Amino acid sequence: MSIGAMIGDILRSLFKKPATQRYPYERYPTPDRLRGKLFYDPTKCTGCQLCIKDCPSDAIELIVLDKVNKRFVMRYNIDRCTYCAQCVQNCRFDCLSMSNEQYEMAALQRQPFEVFYGRDEDVQFLLERATREDPEAQPCQPPA
Amino acid sequence: MDAQQIGKGKFVVPIGPQHPALKEPGHFEFTVDGEIVTGASVRLGYVHRGIEKGAENRNYTQAMYLMERVCGICSHVHATAFALGTEKLAGITAPPRAQAIRSLVGELERIHSHLLWLGVAAHEGGFDTLFMYSWRDREVVMDLLEGLTGNRVNYSVNVIGGVKVDVDDAQRDAILKGVDFLEERTHHYIKIITTDETLLGRTVGVGVMTKEQAIELGAIGPTGRASGLERDVRVDAPYAGYKDFPVRLVTDEAGDLQARFVVRMKELLESYRLIREILDHLPTGDLTVRAPRRIPAGETVSRVEAPRGELFYYIKSNGTDMPERVKIRTPSLCNWASVINLAPGYKLADMPMILSGIDPCFSCNDRLIKVNDRSVSQVWTWEDLRQHGIEYYR
Repeated sequence: MSIGAMIGDILRSLFKKPATQRYPYERYPTPDRLRGKLFYDPTKCTGCQLCIKDCPSDAIELIVLDKVNKRFVMRYNIDRCTYCAQCVQNCRFDCLSMSNEQYEMAALQRQPFEVFYGRDEDVQFLLERATREDPEAQPCQPPA
Repeated sequence: MDAQQIGKGKFVVPIGPQHPALKEPGHFEFTVDGEIVTGASVRLGYVHRGIEKGAENRNYTQAMYLMERVCGICSHVHATAFALGTEKLAGITAPPRAQAIRSLVGELERIHSHLLWLGVAAHEGGFDTLFMYSWRDREVVMDLLEGLTGNRVNYSVNVIGGVKVDVDDAQRDAILKGVDFLEERTHHYIKIITTDETLLGRTVGVGVMTKEQAIELGAIGPTGRASGLERDVRVDAPYAGYKDFPVRLVTDEAGDLQARFVVRMKELLESYRLIREILDHLPTGDLTVRAPRRIPAGETVSRVEAPRGELFYYIKSNGTDMPERVKIRTPSLCNWASVINLAPGYKLADMPMILSGIDPCFSCNDRLIKVNDRSVSQVWTWEDLRQHGIEYYR
């Protein structure tokens, strides 16, 4: 029986640095395996769509412009992604990877949550086609 | 149990569903005679999310990630239970290394869950110092889990047929170092919960449940084991890596709140031992086996030991790539009976402690909503019920 069994912890803590971190000012180094934003490399993609089949939250979509010449654009909805990395696991050609540095993706508009991956000219082509079909739409809105 | 009937002509203290003391919504009604509680009732269903229904139009891999989100604290055991059940239906077995890693992450998760509970229970008892320090130390295991799996909460370790993550030497050293620190702290906490007079005053002799009562009320997990009930799925029906790495059962005879503290803390020590053993004798080999997309028709049950007790999954397959029915029974649901039966006779101020003593997880156990229509009484067939379910969620 004792009273104040934790008083020793408290007194020792008085002379120690705080256990908390001053987060936005000081950044904690992230582990290598941290699952952050998804990245897609179109050069190795064969368009098998295995990544899309198992996505639990319908966050990725592959827009095939020309399958023979391997012109693919991936639409990635960051706000839907649950960061489970199942797509990375499913990809047999190492097209997909998750960043361990980009994990702060909060935004005030919806626009930054929609990302297009692909060759620059393909993405440009897709966006132009979308604007042509629906002139009222926002420039980043993809075709329906 | 109907709250209105119990409360007739008596003073009833309602708690919840929105209440600052409860972190999740649940409604309790305690009838009191002065300070002493004479009756208790519980009403659940405020956080029903239709998860079982949601699993029916997802494929097995997608459903596994949905199951992982049944519980925010013990997410890994849910995915493990679902993956083990699906593998059983598909007739495949994950490689030994994958099974060991499943158990390893399961034990790390148990550590984080029990340390979290220690903090919450201490907080309900007004011992906020213990709450702060136990949660500070819990960060150690959270960081280990983040380093090993890539996320602090939903680890996503499992795939159907194995695991995604491997343990390399750097991970191994980090885990061993973290476990050494946590073991030292756990010994310190055991000393505090067995000697600090303020905490002993709140826990010794409160909410006493005998072994007979525990069996009668269907108590499971650490709540039952604190009453001497020798029941642990890891021991009784070893799954995943527990066949190769046996667990020693931790029980206590006292059956009161203090015994529940002691049992959970001793389980931590057992988890540390098990983690060291798994890391020392980690089998070599592949991490996954190939799993079919279409699971052969059949039905199965899968049981695992979650930090709160036995977790039960029923999976029915109709031969397609989506499950036909998934039924989940989480451990919190089994322990409610013990709370409402043990409460009478104790002071109203003890209720938060008795409640948190079972480590309740409200969102996990809300599996149904009561559609209350007293005017019509009708008998529905399974097909009618199914159709009603489909219409209800549309």
